[in-house]
Amino acid sequence: MAGRMLRWGLGALVASALAAPSAWGAAAAPRHGGVLNAMHREDPPSLSIHEESTISTNWPMMSCYNNLVLFNPLRGQESAATIIGELATAWRWQDGGRSLAFTLRRGVRWHDGQPFTSKDVKYTFDLVREAPGIGARLRLNPRKQWYAQVQAIDAPDPYTVVFRLKRPQPSFLLLLASGYSPIYPAHIPPAELRTRCVGTGPFKLKEYRPGELIEMVRNPDYFVKDRPYLDGIRFIIIKERGTRIAALQAGRLDVIMPQEGTKTAAEQLKKAVPSMVIFQTSQNINDNILVNFKRPPFTDARVRRAMSLAIDRRGYIQAVRQGGAVPGASMLPRPWGVWGLPASELATLPGTGDPARQRAEARQLLSEAGFGPGHPLRVVVSTRAIALYVDMATYVIDQLKQIGVDATLEQVESAQWFAKLTRGDYELGANLTGIGVDDPDANFYENYVCGSPRNYSQYCNPEVDRMIDAQSQMPDPVQRTRLVAEIQKRLEIDGARPILAWDIDYYAMWPYVHNLVPHQSVYSYARFQEVWIDR
Amino acid sequence: MRRFIVRRLALAVLTLAGMSVVIFVLLRLAPGNIVDLLFQSAGYVDPAEKQRITHELLLDRPVAVQYVQWVRQLAGGDLGTSYRYGLPAWQIIRPRIPVTVELGVLALAVAIGLGLPSGVVSAARQHTALDYGLRIVSLAGLSMPAFWLGMLIILVLVRVFGWIPPMLYVAPQADLRGHLLQFLFPALAAGYRSAALINRMTRSSMLEVLREDYVRTGWAKGLPGRAVVYRHALRNALLPIVTVLGTEFAFLIGGLIVTETVFNLPGVARYLVEAILWRDYPVVQNLVMFIAIVVVLSNLAVDILYARLDPRIRYT
Amino acid sequence: MLLTLLTAAAAGLVATQDPVRTDAAHTFLPPGPQHWLGTDHLGRDVYSRIVHGARVSLAVGIATSLLGGACGGAVGLASGYAGGAVDLAIQPILDIMQGFPLLVLALVMAAALGPSLLTVIVAIAVPFVPRVARVARAATLSIRDAAYVEAARGLGASRARIALRHILPNVVAPLIVMTTAQLGTAILVEASLSFLGLGVPEPYPSWGRMLSVSAAEFAQRAPWVVIFPGLAISVVVFASNLLGDGLRDFLDPRLRI
Repeated sequence: MAGRMLRWGLGALVASALAAPSAWGAAAAPRHGGVLNAMHREDPPSLSIHEESTISTNWPMMSCYNNLVLFNPLRGQESAATIIGELATAWRWQDGGRSLAFTLRRGVRWHDGQPFTSKDVKYTFDLVREAPGIGARLRLNPRKQWYAQVQAIDAPDPYTVVFRLKRPQPSFLLLLASGYSPIYPAHIPPAELRTRCVGTGPFKLKEYRPGELIEMVRNPDYFVKDRPYLDGIRFIIIKERGTRIAALQAGRLDVIMPQEGTKTAAEQLKKAVPSMVIFQTSQNINDNILVNFKRPPFTDARVRRAMSLAIDRRGYIQAVRQGGAVPGASMLPRPWGVWGLPASELATLPGTGDPARQRAEARQLLSEAGFGPGHPLRVVVSTRAIALYVDMATYVIDQLKQIGVDATLEQVESAQWFAKLTRGDYELGANLTGIGVDDPDANFYENYVCGSPRNYSQYCNPEVDRMIDAQSQMPDPVQRTRLVAEIQKRLEIDGARPILAWDIDYYAMWPYVHNLVPHQSVYSYARFQEVWIDR
Repeated sequence: MRRFIVRRLALAVLTLAGMSVVIFVLLRLAPGNIVDLLFQSAGYVDPAEKQRITHELLLDRPVAVQYVQWVRQLAGGDLGTSYRYGLPAWQIIRPRIPVTVELGVLALAVAIGLGLPSGVVSAARQHTALDYGLRIVSLAGLSMPAFWLGMLIILVLVRVFGWIPPMLYVAPQADLRGHLLQFLFPALAAGYRSAALINRMTRSSMLEVLREDYVRTGWAKGLPGRAVVYRHALRNALLPIVTVLGTEFAFLIGGLIVTETVFNLPGVARYLVEAILWRDYPVVQNLVMFIAIVVVLSNLAVDILYARLDPRIRYT
Repeated sequence: MLLTLLTAAAAGLVATQDPVRTDAAHTFLPPGPQHWLGTDHLGRDVYSRIVHGARVSLAVGIATSLLGGACGGAVGLASGYAGGAVDLAIQPILDIMQGFPLLVLALVMAAALGPSLLTVIVAIAVPFVPRVARVARAATLSIRDAAYVEAARGLGASRARIALRHILPNVVAPLIVMTTAQLGTAILVEASLSFLGLGVPEPYPSWGRMLSVSAAEFAQRAPWVVIFPGLAISVVVFASNLLGDGLRDFLDPRLRI
């Protein structure tokens, strides 16, 4: 169980550091009752998971819904092998991988008492793929592309759903297993779900007080017997970072929020409360540099390569992340990720070698491109006006200075950041990219194929696009892994979106919290169905 | 007296009307609007969709039209709908008002409770070590950012006691002790500055009054020193202190904004910042309007109080 | 105070290191001979950053005080001296501006104009205008009808000449006192704006930003990244308050702020 998860201890706790988290799971019989106090950093932009793309929505709202299938909440690493049924009891690929059929669970009811049927499933995915003829629309629909290969969805009877695809896509099942893919009720207009929640999940929304609290209460009619264990969950919103860490330390909170555990915070917590349990896992979020391919001089491949070479990745991890990150390419590195490049291949990529030698090479490339001491390259590094982003940009600027590039910082308010990137109105950008599922399709189609709205650097390589399509249809995992590795190397060598590091999440909780197992991707483990406490 | 109050009230209403225009125009100058922010979380900008939302929120109409719409709504008691939450703005603002009012009152109590007596002591013991000590403490109060003091308090509490005030609002009827503990520390953090100011005001006006003839007479008549200080001097020194309270109130609100943020109190002041960052116009303009009304009314109250206290002021 | 001014002016000389140079190998170094006040999370020298930060913080403080003082002084002078319709027209505007709590107005303005050094200066200076104007107006009123002004008028001096030659010099003293007192306030307001995310942007941070950004994350790990900027703010504001006190006693013992 959760074999690749590492339990993380400091100093004297190294002995227990390697014990699997299942150790405490088995130590005592689960207990019913109690209310969990969970950290939350801000108001979610809305309560509607399908309309948002932030952990701020998934973290509290996942417990209200169910999926057809879900990555096993008790297993630390998400992969095809850890998928379990929720609203689906069985599923099979048919028609040479061109259709996926689900058998649905019977007797499930929505929180408002309506019965759940195949109609709801068809409605949900017609809604997100914006199928013609469906009346309702989402105001925002960030993951429409996940369903680009869906030709049609059939609901031949109330307990059967068949997804027919345009071409085989093994990853499709993984996308459905993400926390981003809950089933919505067909009888509630989607706009209403922005402020309330009608799901089938283990918890119901009791109260949402903006800026203060999202309170969930146990669903007594939940279709899984004896679940959930908790009577309720309070997601307490604390905007000030120092205060929320102090609140966890003082026991006002029981668990941290995914993405909030930096190495510094974890060390401080562990020192103050030695019994605090801290998991070291990944977030499936990478820090990267956006290089605008459409803006001279970055149209010149030599200049792009020089930028990537100039930034020492190890130094970056040490300085900006205080050691709380690992180097990697475009897929989440091992041991957390499934598709990451092996260390030996990572070591050949730009920015990972000896800094002095790489700087010399970068300088050489720049002078070939016509820039040098007399005629320095001037660039503006844009980033969001958030401390972490600014730290990133500050480091990048300093590294660029060391190869003679005159770089200046431009801070952009969050309100304008993505709009600016989408317009292509920047030179270099210091950016964070979160990936919903640790899967090549979820990542590549969103961030790297020609013309994708989130391909902010406007990188476009038809050959790489063909490779991406090819891997997407490969049924054989071994072959596919090999091709995905090839793609990753190409992307880094082309400097499509140079990856600086992959962030580590130091996930902290009090020792009386059980069965809350963080995954390698932050978006899919907040169902809370199995979580119990013995305070 | 009545004419004076009516005149001041009319002036206050005019002032508020002017303030509403300023708020409205300022907010619409801001680059980046709620639509961009809504899209920011998704990262997609579909022009058609964007236009639809912009239209839905009236953002494509002239500012004047939006303004008239707002004033009409306000006059009808409708505070509009929060773009951010899709809820009526009043529903969000209302439960926050008591929190801020209570914190403000407590901070003021802290300010007066600490500032006034220490100022009196300082004046009565001018040029003693105690006086210098108090003056330094009060100057420190004026030199420290309120958020920094709040952070220090939290840091010390959690390090030393492993305890911090509750993070969720504790209703007084549910748990009075918890409620008071929750408000005590933020009130200290927010009130320190004002306490320092009142201390300085009290001290200097006391000193001034103590030099006046009638006080000297009191002394000469052989009244005990203590009685002179308290009965004569303090009463006359109160006037300027009341004035300073009036202006300090507006300052205190600034302190409340950061203090509520640091201590996670669900008050209006903290919420204002969030609404500003979100460009949630209905909430911001109504909150700022609300604060403006409070400030204008408190100034009015101070004026009237002042007129009452000082017979030399004519009500014209 | 003087020391701070000198430091700010000569930051380039006094600083021991480049304040934006990061150093991955030397993050969170405690204070020592190499880095007098230690290094921060990016390995930047805290001492050099404070020295450079003095520029930003003082720039904000002085620029806002001067801007607010000059505008407020002019408005107050005009209002007080001209009286009548001008006064009636100006007073409501000042009332309107003063109705907003300082930080609230600064916040709204900083958000409206976007984050930059200039924005922050304007955002803090504007709320000062009515406060200064009020003092200037009161001072003007008190001497408008003084004998020597009457005399100048009798001699046929122009209104502008009277305002500049005879009234202004007498209003300057309270203005200076007021402005000095604002200096400390301006630095504090800038710090609060930084804390709320609307202050002077990087890379050369103001003290307020150094405080607010580091405090939450690193206060326990490396107290020096938080203590020293905090001390810097307090000392300068303290000094400006003392300076204000001293000036008041020297220039105008009867004025209270």
